Amino acid sequence: MNPAVFLGTGALLAAVFALQEWVEVRQMSHHINFTLLLAAWGVQYLLWGAICWVLWQFFGPKLQRVSWFWAIAGLFPLSILLSVLEEMVWVLCFPNLPLWMPHMKYWSRVLFQLRAELVDGLVIFWCAFFLFRGVGYYQRYREKEAAAAKLEVQLAQARLHAMRANLNPHFLFNTLNGISSLMRSDVTAADLMLEQFSSLLRICLERGEAQLIPLREEMEFNEMYMAMQDRRFDGRILQEICVQPELHDALVPAMILQPILENAYRHGLCHLSDTGLLKIEARKENARLRLNVLNSGIGLNPECSKDSDNHNLGLVNVQDRLRLHYGANQSFSISEVDPAKVLVSITLPLQLCEDPAPVLAEYGA
Amino acid sequence: MIPTILADDELLARQKLRQMLFEDKEIELVGESGTTSETLDLVRRQRPDLLFLDIRMHGRDAFDVVEELASDADFPMPTIIFTTAHDGYALRAFEVHAADYLLKPFTSERLKVAIRRATLQIQSRLTPPPTHQTQNGINPYANRIVFKSRGRILFLPVSSIRWIGAEENYVRICTEGESYLLREPIGHLEEKLDPQLFLRVHRSSIVNLQFVKEVRTESTGESVVILLNGQRLSMSRTYRSRINEWLTHS
Repeated sequence: MNPAVFLGTGALLAAVFALQEWVEVRQMSHHINFTLLLAAWGVQYLLWGAICWVLWQFFGPKLQRVSWFWAIAGLFPLSILLSVLEEMVWVLCFPNLPLWMPHMKYWSRVLFQLRAELVDGLVIFWCAFFLFRGVGYYQRYREKEAAAAKLEVQLAQARLHAMRANLNPHFLFNTLNGISSLMRSDVTAADLMLEQFSSLLRICLERGEAQLIPLREEMEFNEMYMAMQDRRFDGRILQEICVQPELHDALVPAMILQPILENAYRHGLCHLSDTGLLKIEARKENARLRLNVLNSGIGLNPECSKDSDNHNLGLVNVQDRLRLHYGANQSFSISEVDPAKVLVSITLPLQLCEDPAPVLAEYGA
Repeated sequence: MIPTILADDELLARQKLRQMLFEDKEIELVGESGTTSETLDLVRRQRPDLLFLDIRMHGRDAFDVVEELASDADFPMPTIIFTTAHDGYALRAFEVHAADYLLKPFTSERLKVAIRRATLQIQSRLTPPPTHQTQNGINPYANRIVFKSRGRILFLPVSSIRWIGAEENYVRICTEGESYLLREPIGHLEEKLDPQLFLRVHRSSIVNLQFVKEVRTESTGESVVILLNGQRLSMSRTYRSRINEWLTHS
């Protein structure tokens, strides 16, 4: 703490007591020099202010931690010693005091003063001591609280990371498996899939730890993912992407749509022998962002979703992540829209990324 | 036949590229090297037209190879296609006028595109380009654009662009089969494009005139530009006179 705090408090107390004494003396119809009063009280409390500051500065942490036994056994003599010393210095400063008394020698004046003021000194010392203890308790309480808050944030971060890790290996090994099976039947296709897969990995690696990314990057990833799926479906799926232009810079949780798309392919589109539809739409609704994924297929089949519990893991994961990022300020719904189409709809608060990363673009001959 | 050298410090990478290049009848493989110093020696001895250059090799950087070859003004610089697993060097590759920049692994389709570009570059080097030179001999307009899209680096020749549409702070560049989103104001892009080849037809669109089939005025009085593939782009009155001017001149 700043020494000014101690000296300022001392000066304030001194002014209050000086004023009080002056008023008292006036009421008894005596006259007294206010400047002298102020000086006397001022020196008294500024001395205590200095003492308290020294104690705080050099022994603060010790005073806050010392056991009550030692506080009394060790500090009580110290408090008396300090009070005596303070009075000795004070008396030295004011040789003309006390007023209205015959002149006395230095030591008699010290004794006179101590008889009147020793208790005051002790009270000041112990008040300061308890105040220090109190400040110590408060600080430790605040530190604990801050640590708890930090821990909570870290926990949420760790959970988010774990979820992203859950998404990635699943997707990763499925793709590798797909490539492995293509290698026997269609080398060119396997080659193309490997190229697309490396592009996806590059995008993911570049993104790094970022939890929220611009929609443009999210859609880039999804386009790659859909291009890879397209090959498996021989182009039977009509893909439609509608993103309102002002939403390219809107922030969304990274890989929030991929599990939904995966779900659309695995539980909807794969049941179709004919052509199918997969549509992604990003729309601005007031101050909110709506993301829709619509796919044709067999609709929502309750029996189908019961028998394979793990397939919904991806969607549960999406909901959990939305909750962790936005709390209650988001929505997720899955519904069947006629005929036999499934619509997944997400809304979240619209945030635009402030400083979009520069896109590598150069012109040249 | 194009005399070609492969430089890559990984045996498997060279093997794959070699197999892919065997299928191309235009390419004649005249040597392979695994380090930068080997590459320098080989290129100086063989004087190839085309060099596939891995950026990270034992020894020095691939750019040192280019620099050293370029330091001899009399030496015929081969056309270079960079191959790398890392995408951090694209701009430098672009600056040294590489024909293309392949990120490993790449498909044979992608390799074909790169070879086609390299072939064009080799031919234009043999016959100096007659087109659109300004008085001081420097073409102020871009011939290609480099950017990153979907995890790839593209050295896109502007001639392959069909049309460009503005989407707020972005432009969508449409080629034959694909479209790319680029963070760039459309006005800025317009300045970089040769007005002999590209025309702004609307506040939010630019067309490549080579792909324009016709300009039509609908019964509603609205003008549209129709591209060779049937795509229709609406045209605003302010830009109408410009296309008329172009039509009468060509």
